[in-house]
Amino acid sequence: MSDLRIREVANAVECILLVSGEPVGLDQLADAVQAPAEVVAAAVALLRQEYAGRGLEVQEVAGGYQLGTRPAYADAVRRYLGAAGREPLSRAALETLAIVAYRQPITRPEIEALRGVRSEHILERLEERRLIKAVGRKPTVGRPVLYGTTEAFLRYFGLRDLSDLPPLEAPGGSPSATAPAGTEEAESQER
Amino acid sequence: MTDTRPEPFIVRTATFEGPLDQLLRLAQDGQVDLEALPLADITAEYLARTRQDLDPDDVTENIWLLAALIELKARALLPQPPPPEEPAEEAGQLEELLEERLAAYRAFRDVATALRALEAYQQLVFRRPPEQPDEPLLSGVALTDLWRAFQEVLERGKERGAEIPAEGITVAERMAAILALLAAHPEGVPFDALFPREATRLEIVVTFLALLELIRLLRVRVVQEARFAPIRIYARTPQEDRPGAEAG
Repeated sequence: MSDLRIREVANAVECILLVSGEPVGLDQLADAVQAPAEVVAAAVALLRQEYAGRGLEVQEVAGGYQLGTRPAYADAVRRYLGAAGREPLSRAALETLAIVAYRQPITRPEIEALRGVRSEHILERLEERRLIKAVGRKPTVGRPVLYGTTEAFLRYFGLRDLSDLPPLEAPGGSPSATAPAGTEEAESQER
Repeated sequence: MTDTRPEPFIVRTATFEGPLDQLLRLAQDGQVDLEALPLADITAEYLARTRQDLDPDDVTENIWLLAALIELKARALLPQPPPPEEPAEEAGQLEELLEERLAAYRAFRDVATALRALEAYQQLVFRRPPEQPDEPLLSGVALTDLWRAFQEVLERGKERGAEIPAEGITVAERMAAILALLAAHPEGVPFDALFPREATRLEIVVTFLALLELIRLLRVRVVQEARFAPIRIYARTPQEDRPGAEAG
């Protein structure tokens, strides 16, 4: 592949990232610019290199690429938008969200057993913020709702995917899986 | 950003000073003498504080924490039944299970701290919002504004004399009535219009609950153009509902 080809693809990719309101996957980019994935990957790498030292950067989030502002200029952007910014999650909400993220799919009683307090209200709030959602029902007595995290969850924390979560310190020092089982199931139901 | 959250409630007793959740954690770990813990005083102090500054999230969180403490203390005060006749081995297993669960919980607590850092970083990053951003259900209305409007209507209800005995008004009925009213007024109706002049206290309370329920179910929009301006309620048209809650 020629440098010229990569240059052309990089320009097209840049245009797509500008207009997109969502992270764009590598395959989506490849489809749009009609180039093989490896050329697109090289083009993205070129863009990232060129954006170094600029206000914008190409960010890898929720399984795709998106243009985002650099944190250093947050104050200016916020002044312009006139928004106070979203309220951060409460400590209890964050803790509950962490349990859902690492143990998904998980039911409310299972979460409550871990936290030792009722968590109904917090789960409702997290669902309202679209950070978690019902991904199915557990085939046990009462068929309790199973919760999982959403794509908005990945965007909220700037994660590429669930394997990008900070490692969970395993109790008792035994190794723990960071990518929880049942993730595939949750994703397939999202489609 | 962070200053929108109220200062955490600090418990001050003879033996402990710190936030409530820390106290609960210590109590759960068995490091607090629950019998000596003046829960009534702590609760009274917290209630006094909510009279000055009522943040619904803060209150919800703290009430759970206080309730969990009360439950722990109640258990501690109750006479302990003699241990059931179980094989000693099984008791050991149970202890092990609880220990495991506590360790797992601590791991989540730690990882929540890491997520907090990611959150703080991402709040400094701006990206183009999704094409159809979730429409704000409450534009310009804080819960306190809705609460104040509700208080005003309640006051009005109080001025009326005798109350008609309950007629079995249900939230479901009032929800249907509000939706019917909004369907007839696509331009929206003022908050007051939801509460007829002759409404009883019960009707007012049930209607307010119905309104909150409709907000929760994404059936209505509540808009306040400016602070202290009249609050208007609109029906949400079906095309405003996005089929999937989450894009992607």
